[in-house]
Amino acid sequence: MIHAVLIFNTSGVPRLTKFYSPIEQSTQTLIEKIYSLVSSRQAELCNFLDAPELEPYLKPKDGDGEKLRVVYRNYATLYFVFVVDVAESELGILDLIQVFVESLDNAFENVCELDLVFHFDEAHHILSEIIQGGLVLETNVNEIDRAVQEAARVRKESFASANPLSLGGGGAVGSRSAGLQTPLGWLAGRLTGVGAR
Amino acid sequence: MATNMRGLTQFIADIRGARVRELEEKRINKEMANIRKRFKDGNLDGYQKKKYVAKVIFTYILGYKVDIGHMEAVNLISSSKYSEKQIGYLAVTLLMHENSDFLRLVVNSIRKDLNDNNEIHNCLALHAIANVGSQEMAEALAEDVHRLLISPTSENFVRKKAALTLLRLYRKHPDVIPAQEWALRIVSIMDDPDLGVVLCVTSLILALAQDHPDAYAICYQKAVDRLNRLVVEHEYPATYSYYKVPIPWLQVKLLRLLQYYPPSDDPTLQVMLQEVLQTIMNNCNEPSRNVQHNNAQHAVLFEAINLAIHLDTNSPLVNTAAVLLARFISSKETNVRYLGLDTMAHLAARTDNLEAIKRHQGTIILSLRDKDISVRRRALDLLYSMCDVDNSELIVGELLRYLKVADYGLREEMVLKIAILTEKYASTYKWYVDTILELLSAAGDHVGEEVWYRVVQIVTNTDDLQAYAAKVVFEYLKSPSSHESLVKVGGYILGEYGHLIANEPGYSPIEQFQVLHSKSQFCMAPTRALLLSTYIKWVNVFPEIKPQLVNVFERYRHVLDVDLQQRACEFYALSLRPEDDELLQNVCEEIPPFPPRESALLNRLNKKHADSEDKRLWAQGTNGSLERQPSKLMRKPTLAADTNGQRSDSNGNISQDIASSLAGLDLTSSPVAMQSPSSLSDPSATLAAKGIPRLTAGPNVDRWFDKLLYTPDGVLYEDVQIQIGIKSRYQGPVGQVAVYIGNKMSAPLTSFTTTLHNEEGEALSASFVKIAPSTLAPKTQIQQIVQVECKKVFRRPPILVVSFLAGAHQAIAVRLPIVITKFLEGVKLGPSDFFERWKLIGGPPREAQSIFPISLDATGHIDLVKQRQVVSGHGFQILEGIDPNPSNIVGAGIVHTAVEGKVGCLLRLEPNREAKLSRITLRSTSEEVASEAQKLLQKPLGADANGGPAEKRTL
Repeated sequence: MIHAVLIFNTSGVPRLTKFYSPIEQSTQTLIEKIYSLVSSRQAELCNFLDAPELEPYLKPKDGDGEKLRVVYRNYATLYFVFVVDVAESELGILDLIQVFVESLDNAFENVCELDLVFHFDEAHHILSEIIQGGLVLETNVNEIDRAVQEAARVRKESFASANPLSLGGGGAVGSRSAGLQTPLGWLAGRLTGVGAR
Repeated sequence: MATNMRGLTQFIADIRGARVRELEEKRINKEMANIRKRFKDGNLDGYQKKKYVAKVIFTYILGYKVDIGHMEAVNLISSSKYSEKQIGYLAVTLLMHENSDFLRLVVNSIRKDLNDNNEIHNCLALHAIANVGSQEMAEALAEDVHRLLISPTSENFVRKKAALTLLRLYRKHPDVIPAQEWALRIVSIMDDPDLGVVLCVTSLILALAQDHPDAYAICYQKAVDRLNRLVVEHEYPATYSYYKVPIPWLQVKLLRLLQYYPPSDDPTLQVMLQEVLQTIMNNCNEPSRNVQHNNAQHAVLFEAINLAIHLDTNSPLVNTAAVLLARFISSKETNVRYLGLDTMAHLAARTDNLEAIKRHQGTIILSLRDKDISVRRRALDLLYSMCDVDNSELIVGELLRYLKVADYGLREEMVLKIAILTEKYASTYKWYVDTILELLSAAGDHVGEEVWYRVVQIVTNTDDLQAYAAKVVFEYLKSPSSHESLVKVGGYILGEYGHLIANEPGYSPIEQFQVLHSKSQFCMAPTRALLLSTYIKWVNVFPEIKPQLVNVFERYRHVLDVDLQQRACEFYALSLRPEDDELLQNVCEEIPPFPPRESALLNRLNKKHADSEDKRLWAQGTNGSLERQPSKLMRKPTLAADTNGQRSDSNGNISQDIASSLAGLDLTSSPVAMQSPSSLSDPSATLAAKGIPRLTAGPNVDRWFDKLLYTPDGVLYEDVQIQIGIKSRYQGPVGQVAVYIGNKMSAPLTSFTTTLHNEEGEALSASFVKIAPSTLAPKTQIQQIVQVECKKVFRRPPILVVSFLAGAHQAIAVRLPIVITKFLEGVKLGPSDFFERWKLIGGPPREAQSIFPISLDATGHIDLVKQRQVVSGHGFQILEGIDPNPSNIVGAGIVHTAVEGKVGCLLRLEPNREAKLSRITLRSTSEEVASEAQKLLQKPLGADANGGPAEKRTL
């Protein structure tokens, strides 16, 4: 099972946090802990990490002794971190991170860190089409896109019906207002390209 | 969308603009205060609520604790606008945990959304339950979720979510999920054409099958079939190919599911699985330069290797795997090295033959110095798993050397492992003591109490070791700083066995005392107490240093620590007693050996690594159990067959009554209470748990079956949907039964599955030659061949289960007409031969006899044609001219079995027209054959077997 999905940037600021098991202590301490574990590792090390240190924080339901592993991937300024137990295949999770990034990329058309900041709800919706309750729901990028767009369409409709004067201003996915767009960034080409970690 | 809310955008921008953390916190506090006030004032419209809740969520994501907005989120959920509902659900899943009181308030809204016609609302509700589902929700909503999963009108994206939601509820509250009852319906979804649905339902089955392996046993076949279609047949939609690998996640899950079951006996499945695994391994021989492709392929490969190891550690596949693993552990890719070591540890824990791994010992030891701690950990696990008597000194030596530079996080575990290996594979006691003491002095802080207790136990129980241990520990104590654990071991061992070495130069009592006592001042109270005990022992054996010892006691009589003070007082009094007093001697009697017990170390290690969700059938090296035995969860052969023993059949009673009223027919043996095979259909609760289907009942089912017992071809089952026909051929102990299954409807049958339940696997083998296709087109028929072999005499025919989806999930379970007499071959015997054998076999128990009522034909005569047909249909050769009475039938035959060989069988049937009774006598060299054949023949010959006109139709 996947216990947590975290995205934080290279300075440790969380951009997305989602826990699938109840956590015992403050999320901030936990994120700091994971950040310190992950950020100290050099690029050529492996993407997996045994994390007995995390057990006091993420205690699974029946108490002691679940072995947790951290699987992470670094894309430009962001770390994508999954905390999983032994029932998951490490490489499978690594692939899943890639699927997540590709889905974000499709939804936001060249996703960047700012998208995750200003569209945090959308990022969560996308995640919820990939993982549900700690288990893999869908891995087909097309299927994920379809579900996300369907939700966006319904939301837009409900928004339009609520604000008849808004002239369809209900946000389509990816329509960032120009003022917020910054060139900060890691483009999707670099993100998903060969050899990206 | 968040950006449609200007206030929210502004809030986010402000926080981003905050240069230091204090400013950020200030801004957040201000905003939260504002929101709190707004919420308190009330009167907010949906948009405002949504906006404020979104701000609360954002604050939460930043890692701040938030304690407002719960109630508003609950309100938003029941909004009719999707945009508000969605934010509401997001807030519920993020802000609340499963024990939150607020969740009570949302159960009704969630149920409403679950039952909504709008699928997208169903999805929101399912997702919420899957994330925060509590026990209470499980009770209230499990039925609804299950309905969404199996309803034929559900969209695929709803069914996927429903499957995972059901899993969550099952985990939270297994009692409310009738997992066994739902088993077949749920497993049938594994045949779904949508791979996303299959993936989710496989996750669900992974959990359910672990708890109910027998009820879900059919998933084994489904998993093999699906893997075969993905890997070998390349049958999958292109969109589910992930970097050219067909849906690796599903493959991994299926491969893992197969590890929860013991290897299948079915040769067809074995062959298919073999091919799948072989193909997966071959695929990896062409490395690609695409990282994602490699990742996905390796993910599948590693799981495939694990499965191959699970199936048979000596198979050629595992040899191939070992070669691959060897390549992986020296790979340039760190991920591959890591997983290579991990999987090799699994192999080492399971295999009997470590040679293949030992060849790479050097590489593995080098991995202990890998620059990545993750890899180092795996190397440690592997070394632990692969250690045996031959290489223990080397491996333990390496581990000890590495221990001194190892990461702190690793040390405790290392110490435990070293201690266990040392004890387990010690070749000499000397080596054991040396190693453990070195361990204590090298990593004292990380040595748990268990380790030194164990040393003391072993030294006490091993006479040869005592003097040596005393000497070595004394040497260690002489070094300027020794760890407290070492002082404890020293105190104990010198106290007990110091006198053994006291006569040697350098080990005199006074020297022992000085060395030990010099450590005392750096030690904690419990250690000092232990040292006091040592001293009193010395008072007994070393009278020459008694003054010094008494001096110590005297001083300790006044310390504050109660334990120390009491000991000192008692020991002081004890040591001042007169010389000839025997009390001291008695008190200080040498310690008796400890009773043998399991090493506390293993317990400790096991406790550290109690797996929870994953009950694969192997114990990895890290689980501490180094016994190289196959999986501990391996179940006993499933069936305790006795479920049908208690039923006394009504037929039996009838024949008994008649028998007693008809003494004229010379009944030597009372008839065996007849037990028709139909009594197999038993109270099904226990059967379902074991995965045995309940037999389908129907007016004709038994008749069809009985008829097929003495005819090779015919109808086995028929209803409005399907028809099952049989054609069979037998030769010696083997046979081939062709099962024809036809779909009579104008719609296809999906998730079509055929399985065999054979209760007597040792006596009879029966298996399909291939797996049936999962869809049966309308108005078509398929043929499934069953290969059977009779190894020994058996009683229960195998059960054929045909299940399919046609609207609802349906299963038909009927017995296959495979009985012992099918392996009977007639032999011609002359009268003298026959009587000689008849006599040779003799009466009971090798004779089975019964008397039963028969019915006469229309003309009032015995239906001789039918009788002869039944007898010869069962395989007997009818012998003419042996019995003078022309209506009597005499027959002979040989039963062929593969293991027990040939069994002769003779028959005599004496129908009596006046009494409307018939007597059947069977004599066989095997008691079982005689009684079994008697039962089988009596049924169709008896009065109740004469069917009406319907019977003619089936012919």
